[in-house]
Amino acid sequence: PQQVIPQVVDMTTSERVVDLLNQAALIATDEKLNVLKQVQELVINKDPSLLDNFLDELIAFQTDKSIEVRKFVIGFIEEACKRDNELLLRLIANLNMLLRDDSVNVVKKAILTLTQLYKVSLQWLVRSKAVSERQEASWDMVTQMKGDVLALLDSENDGVRTHAIKFTESLIITLSPRTSDSDVPKRQEGDISLDKVPRDHSYIRYSALCEEGKAALEKLLKFMVHPAISSINLTTTLGSLATIARQRPMFMSEVVQAYETLHANLPPTLAKSQVSSVRKNLKLHLVAVLKHPCSLEFQGQISTLLLDLGMAQSEITRSTPAPREQRKRPR
Amino acid sequence: MPSHPLRVAVVCSSNQNRSMEAHSILSKRGFDVRSFGTGSHVKLPGPAPDKPNVYDFKTTYVQMYNDLVRKDKELYTQNGILHMLDRNKRIKSKPERFQNCKDKFDLVITCEERVYDQVLEDLNSREQETLQSVHVINVDIQDNHEEATLGAFLICELCQCIQHTDDMEDEMDELIQEFEEKSNRPFLHTVCFY
Repeated sequence: PQQVIPQVVDMTTSERVVDLLNQAALIATDEKLNVLKQVQELVINKDPSLLDNFLDELIAFQTDKSIEVRKFVIGFIEEACKRDNELLLRLIANLNMLLRDDSVNVVKKAILTLTQLYKVSLQWLVRSKAVSERQEASWDMVTQMKGDVLALLDSENDGVRTHAIKFTESLIITLSPRTSDSDVPKRQEGDISLDKVPRDHSYIRYSALCEEGKAALEKLLKFMVHPAISSINLTTTLGSLATIARQRPMFMSEVVQAYETLHANLPPTLAKSQVSSVRKNLKLHLVAVLKHPCSLEFQGQISTLLLDLGMAQSEITRSTPAPREQRKRPR
Repeated sequence: MPSHPLRVAVVCSSNQNRSMEAHSILSKRGFDVRSFGTGSHVKLPGPAPDKPNVYDFKTTYVQMYNDLVRKDKELYTQNGILHMLDRNKRIKSKPERFQNCKDKFDLVITCEERVYDQVLEDLNSREQETLQSVHVINVDIQDNHEEATLGAFLICELCQCIQHTDDMEDEMDELIQEFEEKSNRPFLHTVCFY
């Protein structure tokens, strides 16, 4: 067996990366992942000036026969683009390829990464003083990929659909304005949303994005009323809608309406225990919406639903915000 | 098959009996398993139903063991509590509270509906970060020694089936249905996102 070469103390970071990449080419998957993760740490965190240099070598692993290695490449693309937005120009096409991978696990990972990079790309374009042709082409590709993932709501695979739902949730929040009533999770404070897109941008059209956001919500609402929706997709969508209602109270009316419709027409394909699971989820998410200060005009509807779902009036009252905390939602 | 060993959490109220029995069996079968309680305190039976022994989650199994030996060695030997604590301390040093654990799992199995509700409430109250999915399944198990043993075997069988699916997320719904039929008990099931 080959002897492990001890790390030489005075090896430069660059030399170490070369050494690790050479090793990675020859070894089994488990070790390869380990080595590639070390490379990623070196070129993204330790010395990002090397990132550009070794980009092609790392991306070459996107055709590796191991699913885990291809998933690693996707994670690397995400980290690299977050570290240096300009890399989107080079890497978005690679992500596009991986989004069409034969393995559903690779596709799911690519969807998760696109969920992040969609926001990163939009922010990058919005911040650019002058948008280059290459940037335009990248954004066009991101937009096309967005469409592809929305289409995956109709995938044959339950898990792929679940990931597409989460992408859609995030897309709707990005492509609608954050208002003073919006719940803003700490981690997403710096995220781009429609209100930060200038109306006179040279390439990005505010009104077009706004329409795309609304269309995505339409699509999600339609998806939820499909009579053969799986129990998991249904519970995922219920949760996504609660998130949307709280972060974008302008859509609360649509969400409450959708909950009402669903409650009255649970899909006939659900088994008995699945009905219990879905009703429990509905209750949980209705309470989350009720607790939002903008729930004022929907409190009647929500309370009726919750009573129907078996919640005690006292408990409902406890989850209802006091009137003085409430603000009218902006029209 | 999932690319990494399934990361499983088994959760009951006090992280003593049901979750620890399952923890013990699952770890013997090679699963990447951890166990938790969701209660605000750890409760063990006392001299009367209305006099439980109550500890906080910082108390080690050894400390509880010593405390109960001091209080009434015969009683706690005879009702099996000392034996259980002795088993537990060989698995880990002290009970853990689910709500305080920020590690990520693929599968969380709860042992009663109230615990399932608490797990869901906790997972839904966390800020979403990676959007990685975690499946939560409730298997009702009565809180006594015999039921904990039977329940642990059922949980183990369920985990083995899930581990051996080609595509866990695609097959989960169907698999749970099959298990419901086979075991003749309903399972609650949902998915949450980290």
